[in-house]
Amino acid sequence: MDMHQPGAAALTRGRILIEDVVKTYPTEGAAVMAVDHCSLEIEAGEICMIVGPSGCGKTTLLNAIAGFHAITSGRIVMDGETLCSAEKPKAEPGPDRIVVFQNGALFPWKNNLENVIFGPVMQGKLARKQAIDKGRAMMADAGLAGVERNYPGEVSSGMRRRVEIVRALMNDPKALLLDEPYRALDSLTKSVMHEALLEIYYKNKVTIFFITHDLEEAIFLGHKVAIMTTRPCRPKKVLTVDIAHPRDYSVLTTKRFRELIEETSEAVHEEALKAFQAGEREG
Amino acid sequence: MRKPLRSLLSSPVFWRGAVSIVAFVILWELGARSKQWMAPELFVPLKEMLGAMGFKKDYLPWIGVVPAPSTVLIAWIAVLGQGGYWQSWYMSLFRVMSGFVAAMLIGIPFGLLLAVSRTAQGIGFPVFEVLRPIPPLAWVPASIIFWPTQELAISFVTFLGAFYTIVINVLGGARSIDLHYFQAAQSMGSSQWDIFRRVILPGTLPSIVVGSAVGMGITWEVVVAAEMISGGGSQQSGAGGGLGFFIWSSYVGGSYEQIVVGMISIGIAGFASSELLRWLGRYVTPWLRVR
Amino acid sequence: MLNAQTAAPGDVIPVLRESIPFVDASGALLQRVAALGRPRRYAAGERIYNAGDEADDIYVVVSGRVEHVFGPGISAQESLKRMGRGGVFGWAGLVLGQTRRFASATALEPSEILCIGTEDLVRALEVEPLEGGAVMDRFATMIQREFTMPALLAKVRRLSGTPLTEEMSTLSLTLYRMSLWLKSPRPYLMLIGFALFLGLWYLFVEVWKLPRFREMPGITTVVKEWLSPAPTYGLSVFTEEYYQHIAVSIWRVAQAFLLATLLGVPFGLFLGWSRRFKEYVFPVFELLRPIPVLAWVPLAIVMFIATESAVVFLAFLASFFATALNTMLGVESIDESYVRAANCLGASRWQVFRHVIVPGALPFVFTGLQISIGVSWFSLVAAEMVSGQYGLGYVINTSFMMVRYPTIVIGMVTLGVVGYATSAMVRIAGDYMMEWRVRELALAER
Repeated sequence: MDMHQPGAAALTRGRILIEDVVKTYPTEGAAVMAVDHCSLEIEAGEICMIVGPSGCGKTTLLNAIAGFHAITSGRIVMDGETLCSAEKPKAEPGPDRIVVFQNGALFPWKNNLENVIFGPVMQGKLARKQAIDKGRAMMADAGLAGVERNYPGEVSSGMRRRVEIVRALMNDPKALLLDEPYRALDSLTKSVMHEALLEIYYKNKVTIFFITHDLEEAIFLGHKVAIMTTRPCRPKKVLTVDIAHPRDYSVLTTKRFRELIEETSEAVHEEALKAFQAGEREG
Repeated sequence: MRKPLRSLLSSPVFWRGAVSIVAFVILWELGARSKQWMAPELFVPLKEMLGAMGFKKDYLPWIGVVPAPSTVLIAWIAVLGQGGYWQSWYMSLFRVMSGFVAAMLIGIPFGLLLAVSRTAQGIGFPVFEVLRPIPPLAWVPASIIFWPTQELAISFVTFLGAFYTIVINVLGGARSIDLHYFQAAQSMGSSQWDIFRRVILPGTLPSIVVGSAVGMGITWEVVVAAEMISGGGSQQSGAGGGLGFFIWSSYVGGSYEQIVVGMISIGIAGFASSELLRWLGRYVTPWLRVR
Repeated sequence: MLNAQTAAPGDVIPVLRESIPFVDASGALLQRVAALGRPRRYAAGERIYNAGDEADDIYVVVSGRVEHVFGPGISAQESLKRMGRGGVFGWAGLVLGQTRRFASATALEPSEILCIGTEDLVRALEVEPLEGGAVMDRFATMIQREFTMPALLAKVRRLSGTPLTEEMSTLSLTLYRMSLWLKSPRPYLMLIGFALFLGLWYLFVEVWKLPRFREMPGITTVVKEWLSPAPTYGLSVFTEEYYQHIAVSIWRVAQAFLLATLLGVPFGLFLGWSRRFKEYVFPVFELLRPIPVLAWVPLAIVMFIATESAVVFLAFLASFFATALNTMLGVESIDESYVRAANCLGASRWQVFRHVIVPGALPFVFTGLQISIGVSWFSLVAAEMVSGQYGLGYVINTSFMMVRYPTIVIGMVTLGVVGYATSAMVRIAGDYMMEWRVRELALAER
């Protein structure tokens, strides 16, 4: 199923294949399995939402793609290039797959513009002056004009998220890996951020790998929603969202949206319950 | 017990640390045995360079005079049997404890008073802040003049060392208590006294623990120096001894090995008392324990 | 609009006091502003104004709730804001060159709103330019923070009659804060505190001559000696020797502090940055650290032929441990995601060090440096008292030996002042180097 995805971009880059990935953590006594024979295909230019309760191991999967953690076995391939496998367990982090972190990782000691130009300047791809011009243009495009010289600590949290996404897009990445980026935001801001993210996505088509625990968010944004089992983490149900892009907030009230929520909410709830009980035993 | 030991012995981190400590001791032994400034051929260019920059060799440390670890160990074993050595331990410990306990007894209520009363803080804190930058050791002569015995004088200086730290920590800790706790307590009908006893006091406890651990470290510094400066006290006034004096008299008597023995002893004593405080701290603040 | 039963101006003063721009304002100013206000009532769902309307009034919510939605094309982050009692909206007229509303406002429930003519308000603020300027500054902060429009920060109007340049406005703000401080009880309590301290000193020692206190130098003796052109014991502000001692002590601390910073900061950075380096080196560091620096005194005297180096070495040792340890903790406190983010963005290992590790550790480094300069004085005094010629510690100790008691106090006080001044210098340097942090803290305070 390559290009029949509704609204998926006609892109040839950013296709990620996760093949039979296993990740175990050695601890005292038995090894703990975080990811268990997980396979998933993410098409080029697709928004793939990964849904699961907190602590289910979905971040481990993201860290493996990003290259922060080694995998135990299996393979992750992007556009035919093996990122990591049993032979080379840890991928090299790089500007083709950029992570947007849960709590945000804008450098508080650099102002917003300096943050935005960080990637190209560090890689030596752009001279500082060109980078500044490009950064200003991209920030203006994302509705961030006027805060270039402010430090991240001086702007609202929603705005910080947008600066961070612009910082990632400055590098022209193949994929964006978002780790529950809107978790700390209130629901009102969150709704604004969703539309802003889609707007940015329609302008700069990239593959988006988006981790969340919010089912509505997942169905609203994604082409594909993978509901994960909890510890070990593996797709329990993969759902194709047949609502046409571009989407806006009216989608939330459509019948189809409600139907999709109903179809999936039980699976999510089941896993949440499992995670909750496991958490209680730990505590 | 066996399992932690085995995992310790199989951990590379432990062995790396052990290697570095052994290397340090060997270097120390070699340096001490060389009895020279520096290996002459090797360091001629360095010496010339430093000389050109106006350095004299007088400005550089002479490792050769530091006693070698092997001789220190021998000297240590020798003093272990002497009553005077253990008497020094006792004297220093006693002074540290008296000063420290006094600092806790006065410092904690004073800090809490400053925290709860705006008026007390307005009157007391500026004076406190003006006195604080004066290093405790600068008080030694004044203290000797004031107190009838040297023993009390040394304890007073020790007290000062811990006092400032404890007050600052108590004040900071009480101020940083989340406002919501007060509101929660009030909404459940607590009286002012209840709030003080059940919110402010436990809320400040973690900072009291931190403050007293830091204060304990300072206390040892001060005791050692005070014992040295006052020459260990004169025999007439009944004071004297202590590990600081042990070091000082070893220096005056020219037995350099004993200086190092004294330094290590103080290190052990200081470390042990801080650990004890930390352990006590964990005991009184069970809610901070990491599960 | 339901019509106005006018509330007395006095009733709205408490409301104004709760609204961000006026929290610090004096009673007189609030009275003037309240007198300008026209209370109005709105029914639930009633529109107060629309985006694009003439921006003539500023509104303060007295009771009820109001929803404020920015019009299209406005670069606010959160476009919707709801506010209750004390909420201020309709401030568009305070923005330079702006005559139209940015947003629309609607009453969510039956609400009472105070309307104040923008130009009337500005004129009322101009009566007392310092205080008025502070209110305008708070409007700017509110627009930036509450309405998430940082872009407008620089464009908020300034009152005529207040200085225009940035430095001058901080000066006026400082003066204003000073006047607030003078109106609070704090300076008077402080005076009482000092009066008590000095008074008791005077009474105990010189008037009542209490036992034990009698031996101590009295305050009048100390002050007379200190300010005397011909001091009895040879040391006062008029003698050259006094300044020589100060200079010698400062020079020693400076050498020790600079050396400790030059060695301790890189050492701490590497300890925090490279796990391997830490595993090999830190155990030795931890082995030496429990030994109090002052226990090194005799060994230092033996090791260094020049006493001068021994004294500096002791001060250095104390500084070095504090600096290295805090720097290391600073590096370890850096959130892992900053390093990961830099890796993602293609930074090399060295670039991560330069752009993430170093700036990220800076707050801890400066905490360490402040402790470092403090302990450096602490050990210097001990070292100077035991061995040394010149220096303030030496002054204190020899004055004791030679029974020049007032000079002891002069030495102590001087030490306190000089020690405080050097640590303030370190703090100022830190603020200068970490503008981002100063700004963050300033916002958090508000």
